[in-house]
Amino acid sequence: MQLDHVSRWYGNVVAVNDVSFALGAGVTGLLGPNGAGKSTLLHLLAGLLAPSAGTVRIGGRAAFGDPTVYSMVGLVPEREAVPNYLTGREFVRFNAELQSVVDVPGATDRAIATVELDDSADRSIRTYSKGMRQRIKLAAALVHEPRILLLDEPFNGMDPRQRLHMMELLRRMASEGRAILFSSHILEEVERLAEAVLVVYAGRLAASGDFRSIRRLMTDRPHRFTIRSSDDRALGAALLADTAVFGVDLLDGRLAVQASDLGTFARIVAPIARAAGIRLHELTPTDDTLESVFSYLVRR
Amino acid sequence: MSTFGAIVELTLRALIGRRRTITIAILAALPVVLGILVRLGGGRPDAAEILDALVIRTTCPLVALVIGTGAIGSEIDDGTLVFQLIKPVPRWVTAVAKGLVAAFLTAVLVVPPIILTGLLLGGLGSDSIQTTLGFAVSGLVGGTAYAIGFTALGVVTGRALLIGLGYTLIWEGVLAGLLEGTRFLSVRQATLGVATALTGDDVGSDPLGIGLSSAILFAVTAGGLAVTAVALRRFQLRTAD
Repeated sequence: MQLDHVSRWYGNVVAVNDVSFALGAGVTGLLGPNGAGKSTLLHLLAGLLAPSAGTVRIGGRAAFGDPTVYSMVGLVPEREAVPNYLTGREFVRFNAELQSVVDVPGATDRAIATVELDDSADRSIRTYSKGMRQRIKLAAALVHEPRILLLDEPFNGMDPRQRLHMMELLRRMASEGRAILFSSHILEEVERLAEAVLVVYAGRLAASGDFRSIRRLMTDRPHRFTIRSSDDRALGAALLADTAVFGVDLLDGRLAVQASDLGTFARIVAPIARAAGIRLHELTPTDDTLESVFSYLVRR
Repeated sequence: MSTFGAIVELTLRALIGRRRTITIAILAALPVVLGILVRLGGGRPDAAEILDALVIRTTCPLVALVIGTGAIGSEIDDGTLVFQLIKPVPRWVTAVAKGLVAAFLTAVLVVPPIILTGLLLGGLGSDSIQTTLGFAVSGLVGGTAYAIGFTALGVVTGRALLIGLGYTLIWEGVLAGLLEGTRFLSVRQATLGVATALTGDDVGSDPLGIGLSSAILFAVTAGGLAVTAVALRRFQLRTAD
């Protein structure tokens, strides 16, 4: 999947602004607040929107205007309704037929089993819960075993057990060499599943890559740690003497440290403690979570 | 099943399941009910006039409008079309399959009522059979042109039902009777031209010739399929985040 300087606008409203990235095998999370442009990006990749500027390519082919790309793409859209007049099994079967799958009944059964909907497959979709609808959409997207999977808010409406199952499934598919891009506004989901993230904000790509690497590159933000040691007060005083450290706080039983540079702090902390005769029990980074990276990015 | 067959089945099931289709099927049967009532009352009205006024001018375009705009337009509105479009199927195949389903369903709802009403009103004499069959064929070809034209309208605009109703009621119902040139852009006038040629009756005032009528209906049918195919090829979601 490759986007090269892609923009998409509606009249005067710019939904996606000069976005470029390339994705291969693995799970990538598309992260951003509501209205940031996540669905527009997924629809551009799925060939359901034409870029106003730039190029979108899937497997080397233009994503828009070439239906043959859909033999390697599976899409789970968020808003689009599934046909209520079909049973779950019929819906998956029709998707298999439209994909010209060789063994339609076998592929249908396998896809339904993958999302664990065997017991409800012969019920009308009208009777499905939101989570079941998401799962039957996923079964339909998987029925031709696509190399690329695009999922728009796939965990919406799922209960915790279904989420876990879906995450395991997506991880397994990624390990088989598939490229999976899923959008979410729930940080925890992305943190648990994605190997890399694309952060979009106000239509722009704010950052991409492994979120801990992104955090390390944010040199204008202090890195925060908590330390437990044999003498927090003495360690705090010793650390403050180094220019890499510009703030310490004594909390209840811990020492909170703000450092300007992660690399330098990592190098100095142990020698300083040793020199002061202090034993380090625990050192924990407190702001290398996806949540803090995300909040830094969107507050910029 | 082929991809073409799968699209045909999906479209047919979607249309049959819609409440709007059931309502229009009841409307399409009204001429038959009228025929039965007239027959019971002992009246002998002119079958051609009734078929002209009730079917060709009224139920045929309305049925085709509801079915045609439902074939793709409704699937765009509720989002179910996306699942059919994100497949490696040429868009013209989807356009032809859906256009043919719309034409078929329109014919199923329009032609049998024509035959039943014609025979109920006109009896089983040879003239009556000729009139009935003439109207049945004109209803078939006119209904096909209407249905495929309205299918195309449903892809290019989200207000297909309103625009189609405006075309049927204002353009064909009022302007085509007042302004000479507008007759050539009227599916109804072309359908009446075919009916006139096949029945031998003068259906409507100053009907078009069979050659011109056939050309108009063919152009609307072929043009409708072409527009549908091109519009589906360029299809983009109407909304985004």
